Amino acid sequence: MAQTFIKPREAGEDRRGRKKRDYNAITPFWNVIFNIGVGLFAFSCVFPFLFVIMISLTDEQTLALEGFSLWPSEFSTAAYRYVFQSGNELLLSFGVTLAVTVIGTLLTLALVTTYSYALSRRSFEFRGFFSFLAFFTMLFSGGMVPGYIVMTQFLHLQNTIWALILPLSLSAFSIIVMRTFFQTTVPDEVVESAKIDGAGEFRAFFSIVLPISLPGIATIGLFSALGYWNDWFNALLYYNNPDQTPPLQFLLMQIEKNMDFLTKNAQYLGNFDAAAGLPTETVRMAMVVLATLPIVLAYPFFQRYFIQGLTVGSVKG
Amino acid sequence: MTAFWKKIVRNRALLLLVLPGTVWFLIFAYLPMFGTVLAFKDFRISPDGFFASVLNSEWVGFKNFEYLFRTSDAYIITRNTILYNVAMIILGLVSAVAFAILLSELLNKRMAKVYQTGMFLPHFLSWVIISYFAFTFLSPDKGVLNQLLTALGMERISWYSEPAYWPLILLFVGIWKGIGYSSVIYLAAITGIDKSYYEAATIDGARKWQQIRYITLPLLRPLMIILTILAIGGIFRSDFGLFYQLPKDSGALYPVTNVIDTFVYRGLMNMGDIGMSTAAGLYQSLVGLILILTTNYIVRRIDRDQAIF
Amino acid sequence: MSKRKTLPLALALMLMISVLAACGGGGAADKGAPAKESEAVQSDGTVDVSKLDPVTLKLYLIGPTPNDLPKVQEEMNKYLTEKINTKLDISMIDWGDYTQRMQVITSSGEDYDIAFTSAWAFDYLPNAAKGAFLPINDLLDQYGQGIKDTIDPRFLEGSKVNGVNYAVPNQKELAGQAVWRFNKKYVDKYKLDLDSVTTLESLEPLLKTIKESEPADITPLAVPKSFKPPLPFDFLIGDEIPIGMYLDTKDNKYVNVLDTPEFKQALTTMRKYYQAGYVREDIATLEGIDNMKTGKWLVDKEITQPYADLLWSRSAGYDIVSRPMQQPVIATGSAAGSMMAISSYSKNPERSMMFLNLLNTDPVLRNMIQYGIEDVHYKKLEGNYIEDLPAMSENYAMPGFALGNLFLTYLHEGDPEDKWEQFEAFNESALVAPSFGFNFDTAPVKTEVASVTNVAKEFIPVLFTGSVDPEEYLPKAQQKFKDAGIDRVIAEAQKQYDAWAAEQGK
Repeated sequence: MAQTFIKPREAGEDRRGRKKRDYNAITPFWNVIFNIGVGLFAFSCVFPFLFVIMISLTDEQTLALEGFSLWPSEFSTAAYRYVFQSGNELLLSFGVTLAVTVIGTLLTLALVTTYSYALSRRSFEFRGFFSFLAFFTMLFSGGMVPGYIVMTQFLHLQNTIWALILPLSLSAFSIIVMRTFFQTTVPDEVVESAKIDGAGEFRAFFSIVLPISLPGIATIGLFSALGYWNDWFNALLYYNNPDQTPPLQFLLMQIEKNMDFLTKNAQYLGNFDAAAGLPTETVRMAMVVLATLPIVLAYPFFQRYFIQGLTVGSVKG
Repeated sequence: MTAFWKKIVRNRALLLLVLPGTVWFLIFAYLPMFGTVLAFKDFRISPDGFFASVLNSEWVGFKNFEYLFRTSDAYIITRNTILYNVAMIILGLVSAVAFAILLSELLNKRMAKVYQTGMFLPHFLSWVIISYFAFTFLSPDKGVLNQLLTALGMERISWYSEPAYWPLILLFVGIWKGIGYSSVIYLAAITGIDKSYYEAATIDGARKWQQIRYITLPLLRPLMIILTILAIGGIFRSDFGLFYQLPKDSGALYPVTNVIDTFVYRGLMNMGDIGMSTAAGLYQSLVGLILILTTNYIVRRIDRDQAIF
Repeated sequence: MSKRKTLPLALALMLMISVLAACGGGGAADKGAPAKESEAVQSDGTVDVSKLDPVTLKLYLIGPTPNDLPKVQEEMNKYLTEKINTKLDISMIDWGDYTQRMQVITSSGEDYDIAFTSAWAFDYLPNAAKGAFLPINDLLDQYGQGIKDTIDPRFLEGSKVNGVNYAVPNQKELAGQAVWRFNKKYVDKYKLDLDSVTTLESLEPLLKTIKESEPADITPLAVPKSFKPPLPFDFLIGDEIPIGMYLDTKDNKYVNVLDTPEFKQALTTMRKYYQAGYVREDIATLEGIDNMKTGKWLVDKEITQPYADLLWSRSAGYDIVSRPMQQPVIATGSAAGSMMAISSYSKNPERSMMFLNLLNTDPVLRNMIQYGIEDVHYKKLEGNYIEDLPAMSENYAMPGFALGNLFLTYLHEGDPEDKWEQFEAFNESALVAPSFGFNFDTAPVKTEVASVTNVAKEFIPVLFTGSVDPEEYLPKAQQKFKDAGIDRVIAEAQKQYDAWAAEQGK
């Protein structure tokens, strides 16, 4: 079993590293070139979002005539007014996605930490078997249809949020990451000494191992939360009752096809110039903006956790 | 047997800990494997419920696989799946390492942080959103690209019915979405490398390029191998979204956008035929298995210690 | 860990799986004994409600969900509880999604009771062949006598598959006639001559006028990805699969539509229209189209019935006029234009049939499901006439043709007294294709049909919308359809047809 080769950087090391590097640094010329190259690419990653914001603020008629443009000749907030007036569908979908994300992440953490902790313990005599049980699923799977049948015929969970939660709550990948994290940050001796002090296996797990493994747990938790937030596939498969409030991403997929959810509330149409019609195209983009905004605002603050646990845990399975 | 039971008792606490996960694996990973028998049955609905339907359905051997291989579809989707995945993994690896090295060399660390954050954004967005993004560029009547073409006095292109451009589009978007994330992982690894290596190298007169070649890359190798293996393990749930959402289900693009995943899904949805869709899914699992075994074999040849098995 | 020790554990896990599997299997098999229903139906056909247990039926219908559906459903439930001690739980699925969603619902084994099915959505033939629907002939005899007495016998006769009925057709016009619908606003504005309009080609001058005179956001030919240009064929399995018989066939042979000159011409015309910008440029990926709602269109394609213009104008909120493309036709799919099937998984097939019987014979129920509640959604006028209140178009717009016997429904101002007799006349005027009544059993060529369907998804929409050049793509499509086994399907269809025709004495 290979051990980790990357040490998480200590707080003080950064400054030292920078100072040391000075005489080995690239020349200012290359620095400019690199800055431009990386900067352009980074901009290309952010640009589409800014572009969609501009589109959503375009006047519908202008959009139809001029196409998508970064600086439309006529602005309008009609799309947003329309979304906010047309009832609470968007808000409900937000709620569903939020519920799925929170419940799903908690469930994932419970499943992943317990399973991988056991696998990380050298004293666990069934380690080989349970490792195999988990990792074999990376090699072979029954496929989409049998999975679908298990969910619908056997668990009868279609059209419930459990159909969105359960399929994503465990994976061999997260078990590998978490197990390695435990192995590298929680030496067996720590647990053994705790046991000598009279703590049972459970006590040791809950009161010693979990607290010192928080960075790893945060990583897995964020991975899982992101997966749940962005998932539309399970809704596509399992949500077939039109009365069911769809999760956010699925709602976005549906409005791509038709705007019925909006025109359903035709009584609000009165506020809009009938000749200009419904702001359909801009409303779509406004919905995309509103659905993306929470992520865009939040991710810079937790992005480092995505790396922290993984760099420690990224050793082979 | 008593020895076995004793062992269970001895490990009871840890066994209890693996129990929830085990139940999950049994239900969501192993139970479906039994479902693959449907690939060999002519599934007919019988009124006594689903399981009765399965039992009453006739065995048909490999007949359900026939429709896969009747047209060139099997070849096309297999080719697409393998080529896209291989290309994405190789190009993704190269570009992620390249960007990580570039980022690590930038003089202004604050700017590097800003770039990093920007590049990370696509990783957090779903394929649904990204397909909206793509549409703002590719829309035949309103898209930016066609506006540019018109402005340059060139013919507009109906992007969603011209297969020629899509391999490039898919590869670009696939890498674009993932690069921020993987380059940040490599960057973390680079900053973790002991600086004394570089100091020694500089004293020996090694140039930047030589340092990268003889210090950085070899030290990153284990990480590259792990991430590559993980990426290949993920082929099962390959980027379905990339291939399903981005081309907007345009038939003209199927020859270059259809992968086994989307084929299985469309089969289930369009034909509603459980037997044939299961057969296609089973085929997918086999292709995935072969891919993983092959990579493992290659990794084994390069570095025995890094192979999964 | 050695093999010896792993084995018992593995066995234990296997055992667990099989126990789990066994648990999951239960529950589906218990079918309510039909005794109650058979006792409740009196010898004269009336129903003794006291003998019936309360039952809730799950229905899937096509169309967008109106806001007031829960309200109306509650009202219907009151009425139905009195009549047959039954409640309804209706789910509506939008036009474009209906087929796929029902496909999934069926494969998920959901025990719904009744679903809309037809030759063009949640396709009747393949699903009947798959066993998704219950054979209903016995049920019809016992609980659906009203249906047999009321509706045109040609409907039940024409929707038999191998002599068995799998769905109750909704009584409406039997003949189908495709029309071009026009937004009257632009017809008047440019004084467009509609009388010369019949074929796809004849639309050209009109489309040109609009394209040149109106701003770019007015779509001349406002049709989505699923658009099919008019073709003189009676299609075997839906109009997406290019197998058909000429409507005026001399030799009663099924042909590969791809190889016909009419097909080629339609594609060439559509390509021309696409390049001229008469259709939306993004048509290849356009699942649905909003132009109807926004009013920014000149013409689209629809299937008509007598006085349909009035109906369309009412629901759009502005004037719509139409011109026929062809004479009315009664063909293979005609009897299956709109039907209600009982699911194979239904736990209450008897009660479902009793409900369908009411839907086809009871004017109160039939009008409630379509028009909602009196004085909320409509106002009763003299005789059989009603006037829509604003709440109708806003909150309760239902697709009338897909809800049971249409001839029981109220009339609107402007409708003639003899509207339903006009339907009869419309049926009389129709060209009856020789294949009417022949329903293809796809089972013997299941694999080929699956492959052909796959190929159709790839080629038909892009070709029919003009998104690709037919010169390049038509030969490709022809080859791929051949590989998929279209010839085998045609041969099998011909064999079945000939046997059927011999039996009919044609």
